[in-house]
Parts: sequence; structure tokens; C-alpha cells
Amino acid sequence: MSTTFSMASFSPLTPISTTHSSSHCKPHHHNTLSTLTLRPKNHPFFTLSPLRVSAGTSDSPETAVKQPPENISVGTNGSASAVTVPEEIKVSNGFVDPRWVAGTWDLMQFRKNGTTDWDAVIDAEARRRKWLETNPESSSNDSPVVFDTSIVPWWAWIKRFHLPEAELLNGRAAMIGFFMTYLVDSLTGVGLVDQMNNFFCKTLLFVAVGGVLLIRKNEDVDTFKKLLEETTFYDKQWQATWQDENSSNSNK
Amino acid sequence: MTSIALKSFLGLRQSSPETTHFSYRPKLTTHRRKFTVVAGVSSPKLNGRNLRVAVIGGGPAGGAAAETLAKGGVETFLIERKMDNCKPCGGAIPLCMVGEFDLPLDIIDRRVTKMKMISPSNVAVDIGRTLKPHEYIGMVRREVLDDYLRNRAKDNGANIINGLFLKMDIPKEKNSPYVLHYSSYDGKTGGVGEKCTLEVDAVIGADGANSRVAKSIDAGDYEYAIAFQERIKIPDNKMAYYEDLAEMYVGDDVSPDFYGWVFPKCDHVAVGTGTVTHKGDIKKFQLATRKRAEDKILGGKIIRVEAHPIPEHPRPRRLSGRVALVGDAAGYVTKCSGEGIYFAAKSGRMCAEEIVKGSANGKRMVEEGDLRKYLEKWDKTYWPTYKVLDILQKVFYRSNPAREAFVEMCADEYVQKMTFDSYLYKTVVPGNPLDDIKLAINTIGSLVRANALRREMDKLNV
Repeated sequence: MSTTFSMASFSPLTPISTTHSSSHCKPHHHNTLSTLTLRPKNHPFFTLSPLRVSAGTSDSPETAVKQPPENISVGTNGSASAVTVPEEIKVSNGFVDPRWVAGTWDLMQFRKNGTTDWDAVIDAEARRRKWLETNPESSSNDSPVVFDTSIVPWWAWIKRFHLPEAELLNGRAAMIGFFMTYLVDSLTGVGLVDQMNNFFCKTLLFVAVGGVLLIRKNEDVDTFKKLLEETTFYDKQWQATWQDENSSNSNK
Repeated sequence: MTSIALKSFLGLRQSSPETTHFSYRPKLTTHRRKFTVVAGVSSPKLNGRNLRVAVIGGGPAGGAAAETLAKGGVETFLIERKMDNCKPCGGAIPLCMVGEFDLPLDIIDRRVTKMKMISPSNVAVDIGRTLKPHEYIGMVRREVLDDYLRNRAKDNGANIINGLFLKMDIPKEKNSPYVLHYSSYDGKTGGVGEKCTLEVDAVIGADGANSRVAKSIDAGDYEYAIAFQERIKIPDNKMAYYEDLAEMYVGDDVSPDFYGWVFPKCDHVAVGTGTVTHKGDIKKFQLATRKRAEDKILGGKIIRVEAHPIPEHPRPRRLSGRVALVGDAAGYVTKCSGEGIYFAAKSGRMCAEEIVKGSANGKRMVEEGDLRKYLEKWDKTYWPTYKVLDILQKVFYRSNPAREAFVEMCADEYVQKMTFDSYLYKTVVPGNPLDDIKLAINTIGSLVRANALRREMDKLNV
């Protein structure tokens, strides 16, 4: 009886499991019913998750929505039968890299010419995070992640992410600054040296430098516009009640 | 099965002598009465009766409102359909609520003193090291809390009606009563309710996210998040870990715009997640949350599955005539933390206080202006809190790198102290400016680093 029930209740899942290896998956379904534990339930789902993603978006929302109700029905129908977790399904191996030791990057393995190769650390961490995004890992108290990006010194970040752009930004800032000075000079007759003593011109200088730093691409302008809208959106939602009152008052 | 479990837990509840709290109450009311007499001079006096106010909904908001009204001399009717309703709810209350609402300590199931924030790359940060010995986040069961507040309202003279509110007729003339239609279930066990009507002078809508009161005053809709939660009974040795600890998981896998949680309940844990933007995928996020917590809840059994809507912002109209909305019905849930119980109870009380004041302890008619005062006061008091949490949510729940930075930031003791102070006491104490600047620089540093890594990640396998 239990087998027929399990097959019936899990039928929405079979499109996924058959495309995988059915011989591998079926035992899990039986486990799911008989044990009612957490692991078997999400285990088949998660081992299949990369497959589900790659299988196309058309069927994934459907399976994603349908799958949990099965869990619920299983949980409520046979909550009396609790059995210990089967030992054989221990597959959540997690992220494996020889340099990833005890929850952090083993910096000794990143030694190059007597110093730590921080670029390689950044690369490795980027790869790990990318991997985790597609294969979320359960957090464990026994093996905590202790790696902190702040152990990579600031100059390593600057060297890697700012310097390639710095030339461009410096050039741009110099050009804009030069033309603004020229413009102010031609309009007001205030020379370069005098401009440096002028509060307005100093402000302009900061605006120019700040603008160059913030707006690096044309899309950045749109991003900032959107940000501004976003920050005021919540205010508008709250003020709706009061606008209502104001309009009704003015009608009177 | 559950009853056995609950019974065994009774030993854990504290039998406290805290009931003596009630002795303070008479003093409070007399004090309140003293300054309320001044108000409500303009409105007509009621002859031969007191002001009648109906409170729709018996949650924290309704219970608190009914209690305050009854104490203030208003004839109060509280209509609630399901008296033992255990609403799916996180059930966390801040420390200041215990004092402000004189809650007995034995309704608090658990005292959470440790929080764990877990980032997308599984960096776990312990929050709560800065807590003083007497500070904690209380975990309550809603059926217990709601029942307690309702009973207190009853003791103070409110009429509790077991009924289902159907609709109300809005009066055409000024000062004529609202007619409420409801089906009464009093003294019955199941079956169809008896159709009843009730005439009242003012209505407080505390009937939650699917508020019928809001519908009948055309209050408009709000965007809502869907929260999904599974109550899981886990083995005792696993439960020991969650004795006084709650976990928050952040990440795109868990929720694109909120967090996943594991909260300790009386004898089990609640594992859940929420989202506004991808409601259809909520089950997928739930599985991901379970997966992330798998190591700690292994071998657990799901004893209950629940889902409920959480308002994202206030309704476009929270008040119309002599009808005011409070709690979830009005949409008072914070962003970022998704907290609502305290704000619900507080708004219910605040609204009731204004009615009591405006009616000069039930002697006079109230008008819209009196209720407006509640809104004014509410927005003035709590708008900054809501705004700050909105900004936090927008900055730090935006993307995985932002979340990594958020978790990094939370490792800072100054941040923890500030967050807990503002959460537990609902007052924002200005911090040390030097620390603030340090914090700002560190946060920007974290954000920059995480986003730099993100760019590297995007370059991979492209």
C-alpha cells in the first residue's frame, strides 16, 4: 500500500527523475515516505536542481510549486511512522578545493615568490561564491566558514579593480577640469589662480571629480535616477493617507 | 501527538508571580482620565449612553485597542471569529512590549539571546554578544498572546463576541451610527452562525491583511509579501542548539528580497522564508531554506505548514469617517525585519487612546478629526523607524554581494549594539559620531569588496 501511495503522490516529480537516473532516484522516494525526515525529502530535489535549471524554465515553476505539497501530504498522512535517517545518502559534499582548508583559504598555498598572491585568493573566492550560487550548501556548525574578505589587504583590491580604470578616470577628470576652468575664465574673467581661492569654483571642482567617479558609463545616470525614485517610493506610500485628507479638505 | 509535546513543554514555562502587574492599572487610568476631559468639547454630548465602538478582529491590535477603550469608559465590542486561532507568525516581540503591555513572563515561550546571520557564502556571524543579561527577544505563540490580551480586555469590561464580521453600512448623515452585520457563533459549536447586527459610533478595523473593514471603507490595497513557514519538530539534541538562538539566512537561493529564518518555538522550530517579488517560487525558496539549515534540523518532522501575507506598506487610506484601521489591516509591518506584533498592539492602543480622549471618556461623540490625531501621532512616532528599515532592506537585500557585506557589517559590535537597542526598545539612540563614521567606512569597504568579487564571478564561465 505504501509503495503505491508513494508512487502516486510523487508522480509530478517523475518527469524530472526519469530524465535523471531513475534507478538511482526511486529508492529515495520510498525513503521519503517511510522516514518522513527532512533529508530524503529535499535530497532528490536538490540533487536534481542543476538539471531542473538546465531543463528550461518552462517546466521548472510547475515542478517547484507542485513538489512541496507532496511533502505536506506525506507529513500529515503518516506522521506516526518516524524512522531514523538512512545513512547511505550522504551526498552533500559541498565545495571542494585543496586550498580551501577548515573554512578558509589556506594562504600558505597561495605563496608566490615569498609573498601571498592576493589576486589568486580573489580569483579562488570568486569561483567559490559562483559555485555556491548554483549549489547552495547547508551551513554547518562543525565546519564554519571563517574566510573574511577583509583579510585581503586594501591595496590588492585597488591594484586589481581600480588601477585598470584609474588612467581613464584621471584623464577624464583632467579634461573636464581643464574645460571648466577655461569656461569659467572666459565667462567671468577670473583666472586659474583666483579660481582656486573661490568657494564656488572649489565646489565645482569637487562636483567634477565626484561626477567622474560616480558616472563612469552612460547607464549609471539611469541607475541613479532609478535609485532616487526607489528611495522616495516608500515615502509616497506612507503619505497616501495624508494626500487623501488634503484633497478632501481643499474640496470643502 | 502535539498535545503531548505541548504538555511536556509546560515545565519549561515559567510560573511567574508577574500577575501582580495588574495592581498598577487603576493608577494609570485615573491619570489618563484627568487630561482627557479637556478634549472633545466641540462634539455633541451623548445622552443616556456611552460611546459605542466596535473592534473587528481579536489579534494583538484588536485586543490592545479593546482593552484601552473599555478602560476609558467606552462601550466596547470585540468581534473575533476564531478564538483559538494560531496565526502563522514568527512570534517575536521586543523587550519593551513586555513592559509597555504588562505581559506576564510566562506567556513568553523562549528568550532568544543569540542570533546567527548566515550569508550566501555561509559565513555565519553571531549577533547578540552585546546583550545585557536581562535583555532578550521574546518568542510567543500567537494563540497564547492573543488570548491573553483579549481576556484582559474582557476583564476591563469589553464585550467579546464570537462572530464573523460580514459588512457594515456606512451612515449617510453625520453622527448616525454604523450598522455592522455579522454572524454570531456565540454559544454554538459549529454550524451556521446567526445573522446579527450591531449599531456603533466608531469602528476600529484590526482584522489583518485580508481586512473586510478596509474593503468596506474602500481603503485600497497594499503590496504584500508572502511568508511561508514550516513548523518542524526536531530531535532533542538538535533542539538544544536552538534553545535560545534564532537563525537568519540570506541569499538569492533563500529569498530574492527577504530572509529565510529558523526561529525556536515552544518545542519545535519554525523554518520559513518570505518574498514579495517572486511569490510563485516561494516553495522553491522554502526548500532552499531547509537545505541551508539542513545540518541543524536533520531528522525533523514537519508538524505544520502555514503561509500568510505580510503587508509591505500602509494602505492608501487608513481612515475614513469614524472608521480607522490598525495593525496589519492598516499595513504596519516593518521592512527588513518583518516585525508586526508590537506595532499592531501599539497602533491599536494609540487609536483607542485618541478615541477615548476625543470622546471625553465615552461621554461625547467622536469625529474624523479625533481619529486623524491617531494617524498623525503614529506617523510622527514611527515613520523614522519604518524608513530606516526600508533603506536597510533596499541597500542590503539587493543582491548577494550586498548581503555578504551586510553579514560582514553585522559582525561589528557597534552595529549589534545599535540594532538590538533599536529593536528591543524601539527608540533610536544617537550613537557615537566617530563610531558612526568608522561604521560607514567599513560598510562601504565591505560593499565595494563584495561587488568587486561579484564582477569577477560574472566574468567566470561567460
